[in-house]
Amino acid sequence: MISDNASFYKKDILPVTTFAVVLLTMPFWFRYIGGYSGLDTKIVIWIIFAIGFDILLGYMGFLSFGHAAFFGTSAYFTGLMLLHYSNNILPAITVGVISAIIMAFIIGFLTLKRTGIYFSILTLAFGEMLHSMVLSTLQDWTGGDNGLTGLPTPMLFDIKMQGDNVFYLTVIVAIVMYYIARRIIGSPFGLMLKAIKSNQVRLEYTGVHVARYKLMGFVISAVYAGVAGALMIVYEPYVASEFMGWHLSGQVVIMTVLGGVGTLFGPMLGAAFMLYFENVVSVYLGAQWLLVLGAIFMATVIFLPGGFVEAGSRIKKALTGGGK
Amino acid sequence: MVNSIFLQLLTGLQLGAIYVLISLGLALIFGTLGVVNFAHGAMFMVAAYLGVVISQAEWGGWGMAIVLVPIILFGLGLLMERGLIRFFYTRPHTDQILVTFGLAIVLQEGFKWYFGANNLPFATPDWGSGIMRLHEYLPFLEGFVAYPKWRLILTAVSLITVALLFALLQFTTFGLVVRAGMRDSEMLRLLGVNISQRFAIVFALGVAIAGIAGVFGGPVTQVDPGIGMVFLVPSFLVVVIGGMGSLPGAVLASFIIGLAISFTATIPALANIIVYLIAILILLFRPRGLLGQKGVME
Repeated sequence: MISDNASFYKKDILPVTTFAVVLLTMPFWFRYIGGYSGLDTKIVIWIIFAIGFDILLGYMGFLSFGHAAFFGTSAYFTGLMLLHYSNNILPAITVGVISAIIMAFIIGFLTLKRTGIYFSILTLAFGEMLHSMVLSTLQDWTGGDNGLTGLPTPMLFDIKMQGDNVFYLTVIVAIVMYYIARRIIGSPFGLMLKAIKSNQVRLEYTGVHVARYKLMGFVISAVYAGVAGALMIVYEPYVASEFMGWHLSGQVVIMTVLGGVGTLFGPMLGAAFMLYFENVVSVYLGAQWLLVLGAIFMATVIFLPGGFVEAGSRIKKALTGGGK
Repeated sequence: MVNSIFLQLLTGLQLGAIYVLISLGLALIFGTLGVVNFAHGAMFMVAAYLGVVISQAEWGGWGMAIVLVPIILFGLGLLMERGLIRFFYTRPHTDQILVTFGLAIVLQEGFKWYFGANNLPFATPDWGSGIMRLHEYLPFLEGFVAYPKWRLILTAVSLITVALLFALLQFTTFGLVVRAGMRDSEMLRLLGVNISQRFAIVFALGVAIAGIAGVFGGPVTQVDPGIGMVFLVPSFLVVVIGGMGSLPGAVLASFIIGLAISFTATIPALANIIVYLIAILILLFRPRGLLGQKGVME
């Protein structure tokens, strides 16, 4: 895609600014809709995770059921760094994200040669392999079932990373990562990812080294998962073994699909919806909130494959009289 | 020495027996319909719960459970295929995975709501309880060797089910059509065979076999809402190791995995990941799986 830089920036400025304003003002309005402090941070972390997942699922067309592997690996390494090296978050997050990248190279190498279905099964399997390793083989390092406990309060040099500080840190990271995601999607590389989604065999025949692009797309999406995993530990200095489990992988799948794959905006909405649903709406539903969410998810897949974004555009269409 | 090897062999077969029943259904459904059923584990879970309920009901009993559960699951499978899956044949594969995944969540959470999250005790019937003194039948064993009777029954049932399924596919007209459908369904449709009706039956058959796994495997495993997912992942790997869509491959891979787990049981760190290690080796050196056909999902 060849376009002049000026329009390029213009295209990104409005959505990114809106995104920034909405997130930054969250502490002021979030409590009026039933949210509480802390939940907003968690939502922002999941938004980062969902953005990365959408690059893989929405743009490249690969449905991973093992993204907890990257979230979890990064979370554990961040936790271990905080515990054994220093309570400064910079080295911890760096090592966490790098570990997720390495893991993505390994798992990507093993799984990406396969087609869609095969890929989903294998990512699920490798995710579960890491989960079971964390619980048994590596439990001397990971704390097994109890998770990694006793982490010190994370610090950014002299600043204590608690409450609002964590919130603003995650928001700044989220804004930067959203902007980067938009640039990736709009770049020639992003176009290549879309080409992989529509027909990777044909792309291969045009002389493109498809495997390399797939691995790159996969690793980029793992970076987002890794950043989210690391921030989760900064937000709450405790590494739960569930961070590696398929539930977490399933959650990011659900929120991305609910919001609308391949839109970046949709999955962010889906992440916010899901966390809001889990923590606020669930009060009215009791323990059955997941049952209701599962039903909503099924209904979305069946009737509204484009998720919330499609619902929005359908409503808009209806209001403007079909737009014909 | 002979004794411990023999017992590990037996345990391996018994572990494989559950995997084979679950993964046969998966392979059957994948091979014919091209659908990856993420709700297949949930079907196993449903069957185990039905087994508990029917075997302990006043009107029921174990005989009733053995007969009824596979039949109910067959009906459930038909319902699922006709009511849900068939609308997804023309949709992308990811949508099929997503909708069956959603169904798995709904079933799991529904059962958790009704039965609670805890393990339900699933007692074996009188005729299947206790131990079998194997040394009385097998002279090469030294001293006293006993094995739980139910686990032997489970293994036998599993082997019989496999034999019956293969006989059905090999020696009946129905089986002929299904095998042809697995090879080239489009051609079959052009020849005027009502393939969708037969595929609905195949889907239900796969689910019914998971039903057999649930009712016979339930007392050996656990009966809780999460059990489906616990067995789904290794069963997927069985299908991958055996070769996607290959039924003999699924059988072979099930027993390889069962034996591998049983023989590494003394090293827990290895036993927990041995299945994945085998899968990785297969992926690296024989991507189409042990008995997979060339070109299929390679």
